[in-house]
Amino acid sequence: MRIRTPVILGAVTAVAVSALSVGAAQAQTELLIWHMEQPPHRVDRIQELLDEFNAANPNIVVRQEPQNWGEIYAKAPAAVAAGNAPDLLFAIPDFAPLMQGIGALQPVDDIVAGLDEAHGFYDAAVEPYAYGGGVWAVPLYNMAISLWYHRPMLEAAGVEPPQTWDDWAAAVEALSADGVHGIGLPANRHLYTDQTTYAVMVNAGASELYNDDGTVRFESAETAAALEYYGRLFEFSPPDSANWTWGEAEACFASQTCAMILQFTVITTYDTQTDGDPADLGVTAIPHAASSDGGTISYSNGVMLLTDDPEKRAATEAFLTFLMEPETYGRFLNMEPGLFLPVTESGAEAESFWSDPMVVRYRPQIETMLENSQSGRLFGFTSGNIFPSIASISAQNLIAQATQAVVLDDMDPAEAATEIQERMEDAIR
Amino acid sequence: MPPPSRPTARRLDRRQREALLGFLFIAPLLLWLVATIVWPLIASIHLSLQDVRVIGTDSAFVGLDNYGRVLGDDRFWEAVGRSGIWIIGNAVLQTLLAFSAALALKRRFPGVRVARTWIILSWIVPTVVAVVIWRFLLNASGGGLINPLLSTLGITDAGVGFFSSGETAFATLVVINSWRWFPFITVILLAALLRVPSDLYEAASIDGASAAAQFRYITLPLLQPTLFVVGLIGTLLSFNVFDVIWLLTAGGPSSDTTTVPVMIYETAFKQFRLSQAAAMSVITAGLLVAFAAFFVKVAKPKEAF
Repeated sequence: MRIRTPVILGAVTAVAVSALSVGAAQAQTELLIWHMEQPPHRVDRIQELLDEFNAANPNIVVRQEPQNWGEIYAKAPAAVAAGNAPDLLFAIPDFAPLMQGIGALQPVDDIVAGLDEAHGFYDAAVEPYAYGGGVWAVPLYNMAISLWYHRPMLEAAGVEPPQTWDDWAAAVEALSADGVHGIGLPANRHLYTDQTTYAVMVNAGASELYNDDGTVRFESAETAAALEYYGRLFEFSPPDSANWTWGEAEACFASQTCAMILQFTVITTYDTQTDGDPADLGVTAIPHAASSDGGTISYSNGVMLLTDDPEKRAATEAFLTFLMEPETYGRFLNMEPGLFLPVTESGAEAESFWSDPMVVRYRPQIETMLENSQSGRLFGFTSGNIFPSIASISAQNLIAQATQAVVLDDMDPAEAATEIQERMEDAIR
Repeated sequence: MPPPSRPTARRLDRRQREALLGFLFIAPLLLWLVATIVWPLIASIHLSLQDVRVIGTDSAFVGLDNYGRVLGDDRFWEAVGRSGIWIIGNAVLQTLLAFSAALALKRRFPGVRVARTWIILSWIVPTVVAVVIWRFLLNASGGGLINPLLSTLGITDAGVGFFSSGETAFATLVVINSWRWFPFITVILLAALLRVPSDLYEAASIDGASAAAQFRYITLPLLQPTLFVVGLIGTLLSFNVFDVIWLLTAGGPSSDTTTVPVMIYETAFKQFRLSQAAAMSVITAGLLVAFAAFFVKVAKPKEAF
């Protein structure tokens, strides 16, 4: 049988056109997210939401790759340099300047503005990411440290939840007996110690790490007072607390070896690893010095956009719009119930947030956490100033090193503040 | 018609062909070494002459500035000193543990085969797992095992914070690292011990030599080549230990467990001074090469057995 050339050409053309059209129909925009929410139940919840989004948006595929906070400061710049960075990367305020400084970030002003219009961002959540002529991350959730305590232990010791430093020191001393430590405080060279120390500094009136001109002002009477007070409390802390991170503190609290700890939350551990009554779990604002109004450390976590691909940007906007919808957002926050607090007005009222069974059980505690977060501050991001050089100070855990100098090396608090001031100046030089 | 000539093959004699063949055999390994050692070293030297702070950012040539800064930094030399103490502490403890274990496992007793296999367990366990185990064991605020044991034995009357002071933290790290690495040395020593001819010990026994004398005059001399290799490689491996220290203390408290590898990591990825860290690495490589040359010169076995 003889087949004519035009017929063959026609068939080939038809197949090619068909293949192209199928390819176009299947073309998907892929987004890769790196986040640092490693616990399996958080990864599962995020995956659940990704699956829902991917199913509803067949032209977009969002994937997650959990990372580690301990490594991300080194890994992310290396990934950018190697050309295999993710499209989206979770951030805390002092991480964003590092990535923005190497030119890895795309401004997200328009995305934040759109979400703000729809859901009403709290100003404090956006401010740490707004500097240098742009907004460099979309806020996702807030975290604030509070003072957690076992209510029955305080009642047995005859002490009230402390409000001032004098109350706190007296309570810690009264609670320390029979193998119980009145307080569990870390002194590790770690972010946790940075945070607990700064929380005490805030309550001593030493929340400002910078002068308005960008010079460091760690060395002050208030800082020395905070370090001295931290040292006094640390004497009642378990002997191994010099090496603690968040997990050990929670374990000490859960086992009732520690009567009080400073922590973002203990709700999940308390609920799942103890048989305690939710009503027995106490939480209050961190006590303050007489000279201070009080406050805590609080900051929003966000997500940064690294890709400059317009299609991926559009896909990112679609994904974040989905994530911040009240019916979705509460489920996202409750990947760790009682830890992640809303950064939008609609999120704070979302049924999906307040209807989680654990949130229902611990609603009073979570409301207190929300209240505490309103007076939150973060080193390097206070008084309306943003100092990106805080990334160098934070990455070296220099605040924690001041604490170590005082509580482990018995250095005079004022001398420790002076020494760490010099190291901070060197770090940002 | 004569067969086509193969001039190259004809010009090489047998010895040359063997040499060429040998070179071809080791060529892949040489290429691998160039790719994994020589090239990174050249890259490090190049990096150390720049002023890169964060990886992937622009830089300028600064000559030997970074070397001057490192060599004039007291903290670097303190870290070198700590690394020296770290090497000595680990060498002493690991040698004692490994020799004891190897001598015990050399004997025949029920279950010795199982014991010889399972001795390497702590070495093959991933570092992160080992660290988690030790953190649990040393916990003083609920759940730990060592503190209650010390208390039960009457050695302590209160919980011990093993990482609460520089001295105890350093000593604890040496113990944990030695626990992790001594099986590796044990296996090497055991292999060497099993190669010592048993008739030498029988002859020595007949001559009335004590166990100590047999160890001194038979075992040790015959183990000398093995001890030389273990001493050199073990020292270099020990110097470069980073993971155990970083995961347990991150170089603290204060800087009391900051050895050179920890300091290099901190400088590169915490202080964001990549070029300065590269200068430290190059200086450290030089120190280690000098040590290796010195060690080979003074400790190389004089006799072949």
